[in-house]
Amino acid sequence: MRIATSTAWDTGLDTLTARQADLQALQDQITTGKRVSKPSDDPAAVARAERALAAGTRATTSQKAVDASKSAMTQVESALGDSTTLLQRARELVVAAGNASYSDSDRASVADELQQIRSQLLQLANQTDGTGNYLFGGQGAGQAPFVEAAGGVQYAAAAGERRTESPTGLPLSADGRAAFLSARTGNGVFVTSAGANGGSATIDSGRVSDPQALTGDSYSIVFSVSTATPPVTTYAVLQNGNPTAVTNAAYVSGQAIAVDGMTLTVSGAPADGDSFGTAPSQPTLSTFDVLDQTIAALRTPGRSGAQIAQANAFALRDLDQAMNTLTTARTSAGAVLNRIDSETDRLDGQKLAATTERSNAEDVDLVHAYSEFQTKQSSYDAALKSYAMVQKLSLFNYVNG
Amino acid sequence: MSLSSLLNIGVKSMTASYAALQVTGNNIANASTAGYSRQSLQVQTATPQQTGNGFFGKGVDITTVSRAHSAFLTRETQLTASLSAADSARSTQLSRIEAAFQTGEAGLGYAAQQLFAAFGDVANAPGDLAARQAALARVSDLAAKFGNADAQLDSVQSGITSELKASVASINSLTAQIASLNQRIASANGSGHAPNDLLDARDKALADLSAQVQVSTVPAADGSVGVFLSGGQKLVLGGDATKLTLVADAYDPQKQQLAVVDGSSTRALPDGYVTGGAVAGLLRVQNHDLPEARAMLGQLATAITSALNAQQALGLDLGTPAAAGAALLAVGAPSVSPATGNAVANAGVSISIADTSALQASDYELVADPSLPAGQYQLTRLSDGQTQTVSSGDVVDGLRIDVTAPLPGARDRFLLQPVSNAAGTMSAVMANPRGIAAAAPVTATTAAANTGTATVRSLAAVDPSINPNLTATITFTDDLGNYTWTLVDTTSALPTTSGSGTWTSGQPIALNGFELKLDGQPKGGDVVGVARTADPASSNGNANALLALADAKLVSGQTITDAWANDLATIGVRVQTASAAADASARLATDAQAANGATAGVNLDEEAARLIQYQQAYQAAAKILQIAQSLFDSLLK
Repeated sequence: MRIATSTAWDTGLDTLTARQADLQALQDQITTGKRVSKPSDDPAAVARAERALAAGTRATTSQKAVDASKSAMTQVESALGDSTTLLQRARELVVAAGNASYSDSDRASVADELQQIRSQLLQLANQTDGTGNYLFGGQGAGQAPFVEAAGGVQYAAAAGERRTESPTGLPLSADGRAAFLSARTGNGVFVTSAGANGGSATIDSGRVSDPQALTGDSYSIVFSVSTATPPVTTYAVLQNGNPTAVTNAAYVSGQAIAVDGMTLTVSGAPADGDSFGTAPSQPTLSTFDVLDQTIAALRTPGRSGAQIAQANAFALRDLDQAMNTLTTARTSAGAVLNRIDSETDRLDGQKLAATTERSNAEDVDLVHAYSEFQTKQSSYDAALKSYAMVQKLSLFNYVNG
Repeated sequence: MSLSSLLNIGVKSMTASYAALQVTGNNIANASTAGYSRQSLQVQTATPQQTGNGFFGKGVDITTVSRAHSAFLTRETQLTASLSAADSARSTQLSRIEAAFQTGEAGLGYAAQQLFAAFGDVANAPGDLAARQAALARVSDLAAKFGNADAQLDSVQSGITSELKASVASINSLTAQIASLNQRIASANGSGHAPNDLLDARDKALADLSAQVQVSTVPAADGSVGVFLSGGQKLVLGGDATKLTLVADAYDPQKQQLAVVDGSSTRALPDGYVTGGAVAGLLRVQNHDLPEARAMLGQLATAITSALNAQQALGLDLGTPAAAGAALLAVGAPSVSPATGNAVANAGVSISIADTSALQASDYELVADPSLPAGQYQLTRLSDGQTQTVSSGDVVDGLRIDVTAPLPGARDRFLLQPVSNAAGTMSAVMANPRGIAAAAPVTATTAAANTGTATVRSLAAVDPSINPNLTATITFTDDLGNYTWTLVDTTSALPTTSGSGTWTSGQPIALNGFELKLDGQPKGGDVVGVARTADPASSNGNANALLALADAKLVSGQTITDAWANDLATIGVRVQTASAAADASARLATDAQAANGATAGVNLDEEAARLIQYQQAYQAAAKILQIAQSLFDSLLK
């Protein structure tokens, strides 16, 4: 078969150009480290890489939200810790104020100290995270969430938590109402109270002896002291104001009175007509109200020993409840921080997976690329040499005119 | 037998050898001339002289100079060159289209992701104007990316237009050339010798023409050839050439259509008339690949724009007073283009988008087909050619089609473009960072005295008709989830409404355009209130919802990321296929050319051998003359 000389030149040149282009493409892959730089290089890999890139970006976004939550929750946790410390100090002061040797003025100075604690607590509750967001701002507060109002501190924000985006859903703020204003009154199940009594009897905060028997009703214990000598003290128990089977029961100071699953202890000598009551506990105890009432009580001069003892007992009871609630809030902030750690681990894993996936899809396998480069290089070399040699051959070289 | 016979034989032999050397020299001279066919000298023995002693040869006569030519191989070369040119033109243009579909960090998908991430930053600090400003910058960035991609497609279109113009100019010059060669060949036809170089020139012109547009040829008795487009349109007949030109597309003046100049008017050629050559490749990209790429971008642009704007409208911005969020992005409206030749010039055909997430990446053609009952029209989805019959008011692929008076005339055609204009016209329309509606319009709170464990899991505004001034109070009447609700207008403009319902775990309570989901178990007497968000600067409900769009199925059942990844794969496969086709057809063309070269090409070694051969023959002939002369001399001495 004849080969046209011009075809031979052209074909040879075309082949060389193609080889050179191949080599250049491989060189590009090796220098950029990418096997895929445009969709047509490998459409399926490009789609994979694109999804991986999006997953990585999404994980980074979530991570930012988690970090924001972590910063907020760390501050919330420490603010709650500080609040608990303050309340502990308050408790110590109230215990000290129960000392019988304290005078009215001693108690007033304790009240002054409690007043300091109260304002520090209010400051903590209205703390911001440094960027103007209130730590206990709930679902949103334009100004400080806890405001002084007639009748005590009010929560001006929307209760609840501001959360991060949906897959993480972590809190960016704490629910101030739940932490500071929603302790349970009384002992958590019921509240004992004393009437405007003349006697020296006091009531404790009571305890639950039989949870099954609780009714959720209000009770009152009414004492009568007979005019006989020595006077006989009896009591009757009223349920929601109605008489019950317990009437004319003999009263022994310090002996437990059991009423429908509750055990109450009245000690001291009640006067005729003195009464104590119980009511179901409500989740509405404000830490600030507890301090306000305690301060007010401590500042009231000329109280009887029984009144002082009773008020102190109730103050301690309520402070304990408030502290419990703060501790609960602190625990849940701690739990959130734990969750944040595991969430961070999960997101790190996701980011790594996304990076790996993207790299698998579009990065060049250097070992493979390099060995291919070597192969192509030597074959290009061979092609150049043979082209030069073959094209040198011509009959004209041997014709000597 | 005269002595001059030998002299004559010598002379003839020398002439023939010299001529052969001349032909060989010409071959060597034209070894690299494109379109040149190797020529060879045809000789025959001269009529012998009959004598009493038998027939005496009288030397050699030159018959003609012929060219090595195979009609079949020439035709094959032209045909494969035609297909190769079409494939390579399409492949080149497609890789320019591919440039509009950037991958990775340079791509549209990443820009969209970055925008959603920016909403995440806003959600983390809804009152932070810097985060809001960054989000707005991302919005502009996304719009600019779409604009750039669309501009790239525009530049592909203008590139195609100018290439088509160049092609048509070259076609017209080639057909004129062929017509004039036809005339010269026909007039040379009478000489009895083939005008080899003219034929070569005509074959070359035909090959060049084939590279622009595929043609078929019909030889005529006078040696001229008729040249026709594949659809039968004549280009050259004898000495007459028909001129081609470009006219604007019936729908889109930016697009070009091939047309024939017919006297003073032009007649557009249907697509099928041009099957091969660069023109065919360019037209295919212009009429199919480019609109589809545009529709893909438009589909994404429309889906993102409408989803972001709709979610914006469900939130509250930071204005004074806080209002529902205004649009972040704007895109051009869907368009209807009537064909230029329609009978009714301003027919009342209009389209609107009914459901953005159902839109397809395609244009549609609406034809008033007279064979259909009145009021029905034929609708073709151009991306896959699927047809259906529609009436006014029908919604197809999320697109509502309305036909009102004046009704279209019979066979009137309309091009419906629901999304194709979107990418190019996408723009960021919000300038004030306070305008981002990061806040949820309403906030749900549980009452402090609730005894149950119910907490608010989520509260989402789902209907733009939500009235944030209505305060909803949901009071559970028992432990089983039964509740009563009231809606009280805080502005007292509307009367209080109330009702009751039953909540079941996991199911939302839907009122006033919001959906409230609860965790835990409410008890009788528990109250959940939903009221206007008091402080929009510290609410992030809607920013979270904007971020959640990143995972929402916004584009015909896919997320933005998936849709974009699929678009990339689609374009990638298309470019890959076109480039493979171009490689394959280029190889076929090269093979055909080599085969033709094997017949018609010049091999220099062969010519060198021939040079020696004819040189020796010439020398031998000269020897004959020398001997004849010496014979004379010896006779005359």
